[in-house]
Parts: sequence; C-alpha cells; structure tokens
Amino acid sequence: MKLEIEIRDRLRTIDLEPAESPGHYRAILDGEPVEVEANLLRPGVLSIVVAGRSYRAVRENDASVGNGSETAVLLAGRRFPYRVEDSRSLKARRAHSGGHDGPKVIKASMPGRVVRVLAGRGEEVEAHQGVVVIEAMKMQNELKSPKAGVVIEVRVLPGDTVSVGDVLAVVE
Amino acid sequence: MTSFRKILIANRGEIALRIERACRELGIATVAVYSEVDRAALHVLEADEAFLLGPAPAVESYLRGELIIDIAQRAGADAIHPGYGFLSENAGFADACENAGIKFIGPTAAAMRALGSKTRARQAADAAGMPRTPGSTQALASLAEAYAVADAIRYPVMLKAAAGGGGKGMRAVNHREDLKAAFEAAQSEALRAFGSDEVYLEKLIERPRHIEIQVLADENGKCIYLGERECSVQRRHQKVIEEAPSPVVGPDLRRRMGEAAVRLAQSQGYTNAGTVEFLVDDEQNFYFLEMNTRLQVEHPVTELVTGLDLVHLQIRIAQGEPLPVSQPDIELRGHAIECRVYAEDPDNGFFPSPGRITRLLQPGGPGIREDGGIYEGWVVPMDYDPMLSKLIAYAPTREQAIARLLRALDEYVIGGIRTNLGLFRRILNDEGFRAGDIDTGYLDRLLAQPLPYTTDDNLDAGNEDVAAIAAAIFETLRNGKTAPAQTTASPWKSVARKEGLRG
Repeated sequence: MKLEIEIRDRLRTIDLEPAESPGHYRAILDGEPVEVEANLLRPGVLSIVVAGRSYRAVRENDASVGNGSETAVLLAGRRFPYRVEDSRSLKARRAHSGGHDGPKVIKASMPGRVVRVLAGRGEEVEAHQGVVVIEAMKMQNELKSPKAGVVIEVRVLPGDTVSVGDVLAVVE
Repeated sequence: MTSFRKILIANRGEIALRIERACRELGIATVAVYSEVDRAALHVLEADEAFLLGPAPAVESYLRGELIIDIAQRAGADAIHPGYGFLSENAGFADACENAGIKFIGPTAAAMRALGSKTRARQAADAAGMPRTPGSTQALASLAEAYAVADAIRYPVMLKAAAGGGGKGMRAVNHREDLKAAFEAAQSEALRAFGSDEVYLEKLIERPRHIEIQVLADENGKCIYLGERECSVQRRHQKVIEEAPSPVVGPDLRRRMGEAAVRLAQSQGYTNAGTVEFLVDDEQNFYFLEMNTRLQVEHPVTELVTGLDLVHLQIRIAQGEPLPVSQPDIELRGHAIECRVYAEDPDNGFFPSPGRITRLLQPGGPGIREDGGIYEGWVVPMDYDPMLSKLIAYAPTREQAIARLLRALDEYVIGGIRTNLGLFRRILNDEGFRAGDIDTGYLDRLLAQPLPYTTDDNLDAGNEDVAAIAAAIFETLRNGKTAPAQTTASPWKSVARKEGLRG
C-alpha cells in the first residue's frame, strides 16, 4: 500500500509490500527500493534491519493519527514527528489552509488546568494577545490568539481540566 | 540508641521509592502516604502500608503535617523521613514530630531555623568564619538602605528573598537606576511565594560555578564532608545536570570548602545529612550561598563516588548511631553524572507535559543507575514537580562517564509524554560541557544558540529514512490493511489483528 508521510516537515512517499518471508517488506521510499526486515517486539516497538543495520523504532503514542494530529517515531535517540495522509486529504488540507481567513481556534498545547480567561466572549483581541492561561506542574502557559479579531466563543471556565488539542476559544 | 521498626515516608515520586528501598535493605517496614491522584504510584505499590491523605493539591495532601503525624501514630511508625521538598525543611513539622514522640529523620528544628532563612544563615556563616558574598546579613529595611548597601559593594548586585528558593524573589541589578523597580518586584514576588517580603542584597558574582559540599553529622558531635557536587548546569536557577567530583576542584580547594562547611554545620549543632552551597568564581574563590537542611535530589552522585549510602546513614544517624566513617576514610573514586529527567518539552518552551506514559524502555548495563518513580501505563499527574527520574552514570573518568550517559540516553525511551532526554544529548555533546567549562549561565547561553551542525546530521538523514519506513509499518499494522506475514503461525498476523482492533 502507498502512504504519504510528512516526517520532520518533509513529505515522503512510501510504497510498502510484504515480501515472501515473514516480517520482510519491499519498500519503495521516494522511488528508491529498500529491503526491510521488521519484527514487532510488542505493540509500538519495532526491531528493523535495513541493509544489515539494526534499528529500534518506537511509536511514541497510541493516539489515533488522523488529519491534524501528530505522533512520532523515536529512533536512535532522536524524535521524528510524523503525520500520515492519503494524497486526497493532504491536497484538500493544503487548499484549505491557503489564503483562507475564517474563524481560528485556540487549542491547548499542554494538558493542565485553566486558571484564568483573559479575554471573554465578544472582546476584541490583537494577534498574539493572551486569551486563556493554563497551569500544569507549577508552570503557567498563556495561550494566545493566532490573529487579531473578536473572541466569538470561550469553551472553558477557570478550574476546568483540559487535554492537548482541546479547543479553548474561537477568534474570528 | 533505638532501632526503627517502621518508617513513614512523607513524600512521593522517585525519592519516596528511594527511601523505601533503603528501608527494605535495612529490614525496616515502610508506610507510604499518597494523594488521590497518586493511588497507582510506585511508592504506594512498593510500601508495606499505604494511607490516603486527600485530594491532589499539595496543601490538601503532602503538606498536611498534622494528618501525616496522626497516620504515623496510628500505623505505629517510629520515625518519619521527609525526603526533599514538601515538609522537609519545615521546622514546625520537625517540632510537631518531636512532640508526638516520632523521630524526624533530619536536623533539629532549631538548626533548621538557624540555617533556613538566608539572612540568618549569612550571620551564621560570619560567626563560623566562612567566606560569603559581600552584602547585607539582615533584611533591607527600606529602599534607602538598599541604595546604601548597593553603593558600598558596587554594582552589579543581586536582590534575594530571605525565605527564598527556586529562583523566586531573585533579581540581578546592573545599574543604580534599576534598583528601585527591582527592589519592589523582588519584595512583592517574595511575599507572594513565601509569605514574607524580606529581601537582602549581595554582590553579584560574574559567571559563578555552583558547587556544593555534602556533610553528614551524627548526634554525638561528629561531622564530616563527603566532597563536592558541581551543579552549574542550570535553567531558571533549577539544576539540570549534577556531577561529582567537580572538574575544577582539586584536593586543596576541596579541603578548604569541606572544612568551612563542617565549621558552619557544627556551629549550629547540625545533625544528619545537609548540603552547604557555594558560588565559586573563576579565580577559585568560594562564597557561601545557603545551606539545604535535607537530603538533596542529586545525592546519588556523591553516593557513587564515595561508596556510601546516604539514606542508610541518615536512618542510622537518626537511630542515634555514631558515624561509621571518619574524614580520612572518605576517598573519592571515579566520576558520576546525573541527569534530571523531566516531563517537559524542550522544543516547545519547556512546557510541562503530564499524561500517560505509553512506552517505557529503561537503560541498564555497567555503571548506570536510574532512580525513578515511573512505569509504563503510569499517568504523570499535573499537580507536582515534573521530575520523572534521575539517570546517573558512574565510570572511572569524567570522559567515560559522559560516554556512558550518552549510551544510556540512547537506550532510554519514554513515550506518550514529552521529556527533556534530547536536551541532555545536546549538553553532553557540547564542547564547552565536555571541557568542564561551565557556570550557572552556561545552559542559557547554549540554548540561545541555534542547533549546531554536527557529524550526527549525516547519520540523521539515514535515520530519517528508516523512521519514515517505521512510521509506514506502524500505520500499516494499525490499519490492518496489509497482513505482512505469509505463514499461519506468524506472530505478525495476530499482532496486526490486535493492533487493528485497538484502533
């Protein structure tokens, strides 16, 4: 099957077919054929041998990887964030993000507890002005408006617990 | 002399587990306490008994001294080990333990009071004839007094909270015109953080190293020092990497600093384990900074180079035993380096990253020690300090310890949350660090630089290809679209199915 993977902000095309012997794959990476032998040691942990070189690859997260969400492969002490797209949704997303200027959401960049809402519904905000303050592990983090506009919705109250990616507010 | 049969550990995380392990080794039963979010924590799992304190916030759980003493009495504990943080430097708690007939494993409340306030500790340092930074030894009564002191010792100066810690209430002032604003800011920050607006002034030492001396004192008046720890790699006044010995301390400086630390401890009748912190300038002058009246986070590096178990010794001292070693017995062997592994994201402003640990592969092998409190599946709570574990390497030389630590970092995988493991790789590969050319501003300067091109980058391109293929295999397995194995008995197929079902 053919996959397009955006890894470290580069788009790679990988065509992966199982070979005759178990655990072996024929992979075509950006048009170059690669012989891969892979062994899933346990969910999320792969032993991979490519051309005699041995690697341990660990998938960072169990969370589902769909459009907009991201996970990472941990390999050789490095973190490689990636995103999987089928070609259609990728094109659609690119078309969507280009020049479109509708409402923008402010999402939680870390899990934590809401300590303050700095700009309520109906308030005008500048670009990069703080809207919501979240606290975790004794550190406070101000979530800022991505653009100048009006706060049309605030979805959290002080004291609420939020997870990464939760929508906190919408600015139009 | 008494023998403890049961000890309550008034702490959580790695240090609670560390103390439980020592108790086990000494044949002493352990009592854990925990907050609602720590029910499934390792320190609860590994204890003989465990009692709930209350909801997650520390004031409703780990800081409830009265409740903790009550639990200790009900459980029949002879002693309480406070670990570090929480109640460990609370003289009132030490007093309350004594009144309840429970031994507090640490110094007396009187010694804590004398050394706990930074201004009082500076007075004690003067009395003990220790060098300290020039400046005031009492709280500044007014802005006018602040101007007078600063003019006398000359700028740059440092404003500090007397009750301070962790960098709060601290302000560096380079010019006279900035003093007023800094004085007011430091006062209000100190009041908010510590409930006291006492601030004092000292001369700012340029590019200082932070070097501290571990002392141990028994209850019969014997006190020794166990060499130094170099803790200059800091971010926002928080230690990131610690090592022993310091790359710049020779036998003569070590002896002079050690003897000064012992003088200070003895002048206050100090008992049990403690740490005297110094700033050291580039001409090897040392200045007393403060004393920490508890076990330190970074105590393992001292344990590795001295061969002593500090927690065992703390317990034995608290039982009234004399120190089993004397100063001439203390020899430093080899080199140890510790990394504080935090749940935070160095690529994203060091934001905290609590949450579930979905993968955990821990390092091992020669010379590696990991003091942790985590496991695969554990949810790191958002309510406490983000420290997950301490990774420590020990080797005959500093160079070998660095290589060993880098090797262990490559073995270490923590998934599901972000950690600062990558930051250590960068520091340990940095020429400045490798040359021992570090001071308390070192890490901020390193982080301000763009990531350097290294020979690793060539290797990284190849790794990126493999990572892309690995990502594709993970996704294929998750979607269950391709059965990779051809034989019926293949583990691939069943795992692929499981993975598909989990999605």
